[in-house]
Amino acid sequence: MNVRKTKRLVTLLAYLLAFLAVAVTLFPIFWIFTISIKTQRDAFAVPPVWFFQPVWSNYLRIWQEVGFMQAFRNSVVITVMGVALALLLGIPAAYALNRMTFRGKRTFTVWLLVTYMFPEFLFIIPMYVLYQDLGLYDTQIGMALVYQVFVLPFAIWLLRSFFADVPVELEDAARIDGCTRWQTLRLIYFPLTAPGISATAILTAIWIWNELTIALALTFDVAKTVTVAVAGFRGYAAIDWGGMTAASIVSIIPMLIFAAIAQRYIVEGLTLGAVK
Amino acid sequence: MAAWQSLRSNLRDASLVKVLGGYLFIGPALLVLGLTSIYPVVYSTVMSFFDWEWGGDISFIWFGNYTRYLSDDSFWQVVGQTFYFTAGAVVVELVLGLTLAIIVNRLGFGMGIVRTLLMLPLMVSGIIVALMWKILLDPTLGIINYLLKLVHLPTSAFFGAPSTAMPSIIMVDTWWQTAFVFIVLSAGLRSLPREPYEAAEVDGASSLQTFRYLTLPMLKPVLLTVLIFRTIDCLKVFAIIFGTTGGGPNMITESMQTLAYRTAFKFLKLSRSMTLMVIFSLIILALVMIYLRVGERENT
Repeated sequence: MNVRKTKRLVTLLAYLLAFLAVAVTLFPIFWIFTISIKTQRDAFAVPPVWFFQPVWSNYLRIWQEVGFMQAFRNSVVITVMGVALALLLGIPAAYALNRMTFRGKRTFTVWLLVTYMFPEFLFIIPMYVLYQDLGLYDTQIGMALVYQVFVLPFAIWLLRSFFADVPVELEDAARIDGCTRWQTLRLIYFPLTAPGISATAILTAIWIWNELTIALALTFDVAKTVTVAVAGFRGYAAIDWGGMTAASIVSIIPMLIFAAIAQRYIVEGLTLGAVK
Repeated sequence: MAAWQSLRSNLRDASLVKVLGGYLFIGPALLVLGLTSIYPVVYSTVMSFFDWEWGGDISFIWFGNYTRYLSDDSFWQVVGQTFYFTAGAVVVELVLGLTLAIIVNRLGFGMGIVRTLLMLPLMVSGIIVALMWKILLDPTLGIINYLLKLVHLPTSAFFGAPSTAMPSIIMVDTWWQTAFVFIVLSAGLRSLPREPYEAAEVDGASSLQTFRYLTLPMLKPVLLTVLIFRTIDCLKVFAIIFGTTGGGPNMITESMQTLAYRTAFKFLKLSRSMTLMVIFSLIILALVMIYLRVGERENT
């Protein structure tokens, strides 16, 4: 009887703490959203206004502002290109690392891990100089390419663990039946590891969409990404809360949609490697 | 005809794929990584031995950049601050993440939705996290100081004062990245075997004992992985400092990467900035090696 009571109490406490954690997690986003739909006067009011007439002028304003719209479009294009490139290069590479032998395989694997540890600016400054010479500075294709420095090792690493789950016997059978390597990849790996490939694509997309450091250094105007555009409000933080919060919310929305529809994949991708 | 075709396909399979082997598959990736990853590392290392500003002349100065930084107190101060941030953020996030994982694991109804909601900060870009908190923690207009006043707690200047600037940034990172620790450790907890817990319950072990002698040791490999990931990420901190304090006040929150950014893109000292990054990369590598060595020893 007593034991059961304590257990109930512990469960109640767990729910209470979980609720508290959720509240602390969500409140900042909620509050920023309310500021984005307040008038300038309400936004700066002390004490803060909890009930007010929402206005959407901040959203209209950044929507009409050419710079932000263009940055949003740039981010979409760069993300799509970057993910496509990572999968196109990463899938064969991951396959080869699992099922083929070649010289330098170990070095290659170690390099993939080491790259992840290195700070962005180790890569950024040489790429800045190179891109100025090649004319790739401030271009969408240049950004999709440079992101591969972090995205490609990550993609190869993830895909490799997903591919490792495909039974070797299945592949051997296909090979005996006359399938080439490419055919086994297409006919056996793609259908079996579709969830893994999706998880990789989604995590890669989130990474590229949210990246600031590299974009800040390698874009200026034409290929400016959404994070750089939002960072542009930094200097005016004291003045333009409305524009800044509205721009923040707009650039979070695509990722929130991702989180809602693909939460399982995201969790799987994040935990892979760490738990396995 | 059929013989010709089979010969051709045999040849194709035998010659190209067999001879080149894995290189045909790995080649494209290798090419792109060669350009975006290997080339920059080599270039940075070579250029760190030169004196070079953007648009200026290049001259070879041996270890000039290195001796300059290694004997510079303000450089070591930035290294110290970066480690201060990292130690603070990693410890808080690990403790909080583990606690959350254990708590949420106990929930029956609503566990899925709680997990989804707790994950949301991870979806938000660092720069947006920074700007959000700059508004929330504004000393005069921010909601947090208002709430503190409401419950009669002392208010704070947060990013504005030297003593509270770095702790504020640690707090922002905690809000942002604890979810990563939480998610990975949750999966780690669920992957643990049930039997030892049943045995412990039969033996009448307290929950504290179970945690200390069962959960913690069994979770150690996952904890070590999370620790390494978070440490590397925190050492590389950029966006949340860039967006909140910009390294101030008085350089007190400057990190290795914000310093590299300023050195290269504000002062145009490219080779010095590359030297900073080479030194920093070596520091990170050394640290990861130590972690792995310690982890190995613990396991044997």
